[in-house]
Amino acid sequence: MDDDASNPLRRMSSRTRKVAPKMAAALASSDNRNQAALARLEALENDNAGIETVEINDEDEDSLDDDDQVYMQKKQSKSMKRKTRQAKALEARKAPRTFLELLHEANLESLPPHVPSYLRAAVGPPSSTSRRHFCTVCGSAASYTCVRCGVRFCSCRCQNIHNDTRCLKFVA
Amino acid sequence: MQPSTVVVLDNGGGLIKAGFGGEMDPTAIIPNCLFRPLSSKKWLHPSPISTTPSSAAAAAAASDPIDLTSAAVRRPLDRGYLINPDLQRDIWAHLLSSLLFPQRPNLGGPSHSSLLLTEPLFSLPSVQRATDELVFEDLGFAALYVADSPSLAHLYEASRRPSGLASKAQCSLVVDCGFSFTHAAPVFQNFTLNYAVKRIDLGGKALTNYLKELVSYRSVNVMDETFLMDDVKERLCFVSLDVARDLKIARCAMWETWESSRFEWVYLVLTVCEMGNEGNLEKDDILRKPGKENLLRCTYVLPDGVTHTKGFVKDPDEAQRYLSLTDGDRDQTPNGNADQPQVTEKLENRKKTDLTKNEFDLTNERFLVPEMIFHPADLGMNQAGLAECIVRAVNSCHPDLHPLLYESIILTGGSTLFPRIAQRLEKELRPLVPDDYRVKITAQEDPILSVWRGGSLLASSPDFEAMCVTKAEYEELGSARCRRRFFH
Ligand SMILES: [Zn+2]
Ligand SMILES: [Zn+2]
Repeated sequence: MDDDASNPLRRMSSRTRKVAPKMAAALASSDNRNQAALARLEALENDNAGIETVEINDEDEDSLDDDDQVYMQKKQSKSMKRKTRQAKALEARKAPRTFLELLHEANLESLPPHVPSYLRAAVGPPSSTSRRHFCTVCGSAASYTCVRCGVRFCSCRCQNIHNDTRCLKFVA
Repeated sequence: MQPSTVVVLDNGGGLIKAGFGGEMDPTAIIPNCLFRPLSSKKWLHPSPISTTPSSAAAAAAASDPIDLTSAAVRRPLDRGYLINPDLQRDIWAHLLSSLLFPQRPNLGGPSHSSLLLTEPLFSLPSVQRATDELVFEDLGFAALYVADSPSLAHLYEASRRPSGLASKAQCSLVVDCGFSFTHAAPVFQNFTLNYAVKRIDLGGKALTNYLKELVSYRSVNVMDETFLMDDVKERLCFVSLDVARDLKIARCAMWETWESSRFEWVYLVLTVCEMGNEGNLEKDDILRKPGKENLLRCTYVLPDGVTHTKGFVKDPDEAQRYLSLTDGDRDQTPNGNADQPQVTEKLENRKKTDLTKNEFDLTNERFLVPEMIFHPADLGMNQAGLAECIVRAVNSCHPDLHPLLYESIILTGGSTLFPRIAQRLEKELRPLVPDDYRVKITAQEDPILSVWRGGSLLASSPDFEAMCVTKAEYEELGSARCRRRFFH
């Protein structure tokens, strides 16, 4: 088990995750641990979006093959037409949004309860509230909790590893 | 003029499966994303993936090995639903013009074809509108039919086994565990009973990200290595039949890895003693059969960017050893004394190359990752696991259907490829189902393709054209009114 800094994996990104300091701050306070847990769940749906923001339109069209030109021309003339017709709607459509934003806009809560919907289809909470905890260092069943950050570990030995290298870090 | 060609597009959050109605397999399978390798400033289209051996060779020859180390990814779908129509249009346009229609030059392109498109259940009206716009206005298809995945998976299964229950009773419970989420969906007379569908917000994407998190926390930072960790997950993860037991076995393996050789055996013995008290493994099991502590551990070699741009499993035999861990049977010793010298030799090798740090070991991560489908609560998610999800979906149906549904459970979607998932599901489900009902779980051979194949069957049925919405109807009635025809 090596700390990341000592790892000579040159080709892997050594960029520290932006989320890490935020998570560390959140984890430090037990009040914020719930929020940290939610942020972590949210992160499970993340993509590696790259470091800088790129104007996707230009880049995309450059990257396409000649074969696509027929379609792309169609697309461009289409966009032009629409810009004159409903430029506003187009601009709104241009900005990619998250599903949760779209969901919020759809206002499914206002549907009558018998109508099947995305919200109603969620499986709901488990019938048993028991949660198994796994050691964050080694993965074994964990019965101890770090008093500083709330993370779980299984033994003195993993506690030491946790304290030395991982305490208050979200991603080591 | 009615178009006679149907393009079948199973548009998953992870993979697009695309081809022509009536055929056995899709023409192209591509990741539904653009990516940008570190070496590139442009976003690129991924090369097609293939599942059949013959096309695999062709695809391997055609695609240059792009180094995907730390590549950035953009996906048009978020949590299964279309959020970026522009990106989706570019991906579809590329797919149609470069991969699909060149295979059939006499077809005349989308304007002479109908499209059968899969869409996740409970899509939002705004998403449907954006989809229809793409299909009719941007790509110019002549007609559209929108289908949901469970009904297509059911259709395929029913046609595959005409004497099976799914076919005879026209009823099944489709468990679709894909990239974005997992659905338990009762299907009756080829229609998904959407009022009874239950969803767990976990799929292959979350599992890969969870694996990234575990490996990054414990050994090497792989947080940016989506493609690499997908490969690790697909090759090395499996579903445990007894988590408590497998954790103990894994723990043994881990102590041994961590300790310098001098203390290794001391700790191994200590751990074994500890297990002797509580576990169902006996000391002798491990001490007499030194191969045993390595049952779960295996090594994955990271790409070095020079000799190999893709990672690989160091020792494929080692990766298969967990198979000797059978359910409730600890007498099997496939790695008996005969294998022993070989095992130690491999261990030596492993330790030598370990110094370069261009590899990492997995032990309990291999089964703790798929475990989350069964117990999302362990992740801190307030959602029931797969077995309960199925029970709730069944219980939302008419009681007459319950025994039929339990007896005809179909597993589909890429995340059902984890070895032993059906066995484990049966083990968890059985106690939750009334004793006089049978539980029968059918895992599919190609769970990634079954929805597409169902679509292909539907597209070649005589009723298909009448079920479609034509471009003229769309232009006259608009998206919302056309959509009512698809019974969503
Ligand atoms: Zn531990
Ligand atoms: Zn701590």
